[in-house]
Amino acid sequence: MSILYDEGQQAIATESRRILEARVHKDDLLPLLQTSGRYHEAFWATAKEQGWTALALPEAHGGLALGIVELGLIAHQAGRTLSGAPFLTSNFGAAKAIELYGSDDQKQRWLPGLASGDVIGAVAIASGPDALPAHPKVTLTNDRLDGVKDGVSGALHADVAIVFANGPGMPVLALVDLAKVEKTAIDSFDNSRCLADLHFADTPAETLVSGSAARAAALHILALQAVITAHEQTGGAEALMEIARDYAVTRKAFGQPIGAFQSIKHRIAELYGLVELARANCIHAASREGQSDFVTAAAAARLSATEAYDTAARDCVQIHGGIGVTWEIGLHLHMRRARTLALEQGSSLFWEDILVDRLAGEAA
Amino acid sequence: MSDLEAYRAKAAAWCESVAPTFGKAARKGLSVEEDLALGRRYQKAKFDAGFAGINWPTDLGGQGLGHIEKITFEAEEMKHGFPNVYFGISLGMPVPVLMQFGSDRDFVKERVLKALQGEEIWCQLFSEPSGGTDLAGLRTRAETDGNGWKINGQKVWTSWAQYSDYGVIVVRTDPTVAKHKGLTYFWVDMKAPGVTVRPIKLAGGDSHVNEVFFDDVKISDDHRMSPVGGGFSVALATLMIERYVATDSAGFGPHLDLFVDLAKDLMINGRPAIEDGRIRQQIARNYAMRSGLDSINVRARLMMQAGMTPGPEGSLNKLVAVRSRQKLSELAIDLQGVGGFHFDEHASPKDDWASSWINAPTGRIAGGSDETLLNTIAERILGLPQDHRPDKGVPFNQIPA
Repeated sequence: MSILYDEGQQAIATESRRILEARVHKDDLLPLLQTSGRYHEAFWATAKEQGWTALALPEAHGGLALGIVELGLIAHQAGRTLSGAPFLTSNFGAAKAIELYGSDDQKQRWLPGLASGDVIGAVAIASGPDALPAHPKVTLTNDRLDGVKDGVSGALHADVAIVFANGPGMPVLALVDLAKVEKTAIDSFDNSRCLADLHFADTPAETLVSGSAARAAALHILALQAVITAHEQTGGAEALMEIARDYAVTRKAFGQPIGAFQSIKHRIAELYGLVELARANCIHAASREGQSDFVTAAAAARLSATEAYDTAARDCVQIHGGIGVTWEIGLHLHMRRARTLALEQGSSLFWEDILVDRLAGEAA
Repeated sequence: MSDLEAYRAKAAAWCESVAPTFGKAARKGLSVEEDLALGRRYQKAKFDAGFAGINWPTDLGGQGLGHIEKITFEAEEMKHGFPNVYFGISLGMPVPVLMQFGSDRDFVKERVLKALQGEEIWCQLFSEPSGGTDLAGLRTRAETDGNGWKINGQKVWTSWAQYSDYGVIVVRTDPTVAKHKGLTYFWVDMKAPGVTVRPIKLAGGDSHVNEVFFDDVKISDDHRMSPVGGGFSVALATLMIERYVATDSAGFGPHLDLFVDLAKDLMINGRPAIEDGRIRQQIARNYAMRSGLDSINVRARLMMQAGMTPGPEGSLNKLVAVRSRQKLSELAIDLQGVGGFHFDEHASPKDDWASSWINAPTGRIAGGSDETLLNTIAERILGLPQDHRPDKGVPFNQIPA
């Protein structure tokens, strides 16, 4: 089943869109590309002020007890405006891991801060090309972590991380205070994601889950985050489709708007199809949290949203011609973000395998 | 259980109960004529059980229920492969238009009842050799003839015309005005003198479409269903009647599960094909596309249940589903290697990959080609400009042929 948004959910969409369109501007985002480690502070301040950081977390720990349907709506709007901070998703993933697998002490220590946004969380599951590695390179021995987690979104500013590690003969999902952990900033094509490698050296860590349950838990957190990211990608793709449409009706060549040429109008109509399929998959996936087919639905959302955003980025620039490749017009912000979001939470290659394992009845 | 769930259960139970008599297995090996005869009995059984004309008015033999009940029943019906295809066009467009625009109400009622019970079939005479997408460019003409009209010309791609008793037709009554303005809408008796139906064999081997020739076919003015010169808007109304029918994210080809089963059974390089990355990618991509369409369709149903108008994204179904079915069918044949050569022209496109493949082009052309659908999305939904139309506003008889 899928769902229709109720009035409250529609209000979240409208209001978050209004606020973000007023507060997030391309001209503030462009300079962030050329510095390392800075995020768009106005966005994060807005997310905290509006309670978006608390949205999908439990009331007992400072949350608003809504779910991924609502957080997805915020992410969609954030995607539309290229809102420049990765923490909306990373905080949510870290907090969900603590909520679902942590002790009462751990929840009391971390969740209120994550809900308010004063604490920043990161999720470090991947290792190089493996979104969910069979043998994580980071090891956990006697509650101490060693090794490097590479390419962690938001990690540069994170206070706490959820780390998928190789424990004593089995995988573990661990909670790590990052106060004393060395972080190396990564120069990226999308610097406001505040990517970093985390260097663990005899770092104290607390085990949340171990054994095969750890792998299932890590996949569940990835799937939750993937659904949020898919909404963000769909928002970005939708914005690009509209930008392409607006340009095609105003820009003229050979005596008519270029949108009257089928090579242009069909390209934009195809984008509409990709955006609507991604949106439908996102709504469906968000409505399946807690059901046995959630990971399948998340994978479908993720795949269609990645395809929509990447394609929209390529085609929107193409439709603009020369002006599309300039720094100032900023379409490259979407190109960059499309690729960043395609990698965060596992690439399409990963989700294709996850999906087919389930369809073929081979999932663990 | 909600009312609709109860209705679904009732529909499912009835379909199950008649499946041995009318379902896929019962149809196996029948000639087209035998299958049509079975189809007429099925349509009658449907009528007797109260599942015909579900959303039509009760005084015309319908059930007086909503569109949502209709597509709920159709979703159940679709699972069994019943011989209902002969009545799809008839009850989908011409008969509803007759109900809406027919002037002689006794005549209308008699026809509707016979059509609902499978006794009579109606066809829709729109496309012509000179154009299908450009409907308003049609050339078949009707001239006044005493108090009535005389029709001359040719229609084509007319589904089930060879079995039809009546048809609705759009013809040119005034060639001196712009092309949209000179059209008039009539119904015709397909058995009338001067009507010749010639089946067209399609690439896949079947012949459900026809050429229909009109040679001095005389009709009285009470056959007219639009004002003289007002035929185009009735034609558009015909095409708009069923925007939301029960849709199929498999593009009326095989379900993805069948492809997964095939990939598990066959080997590539000594390993099950399901382990091959190229195959896995196509399965994943197809699943994501189909689940998106399914979600769009579920949401459209929920909107109708809530009394809202479904969004325009419903128009994506045919465009997206059929062309991907075409490619997936090619891949399914590739998977079988030289074993993929086998072909049974009577196999169903719903469960046979070769049949699905060879019949797929029809699905991408009939009922609006991919290109027309893209234009419609671009113009109606996104507000992009119309294509350049050199014949716009030009009197029909001055448009260069």
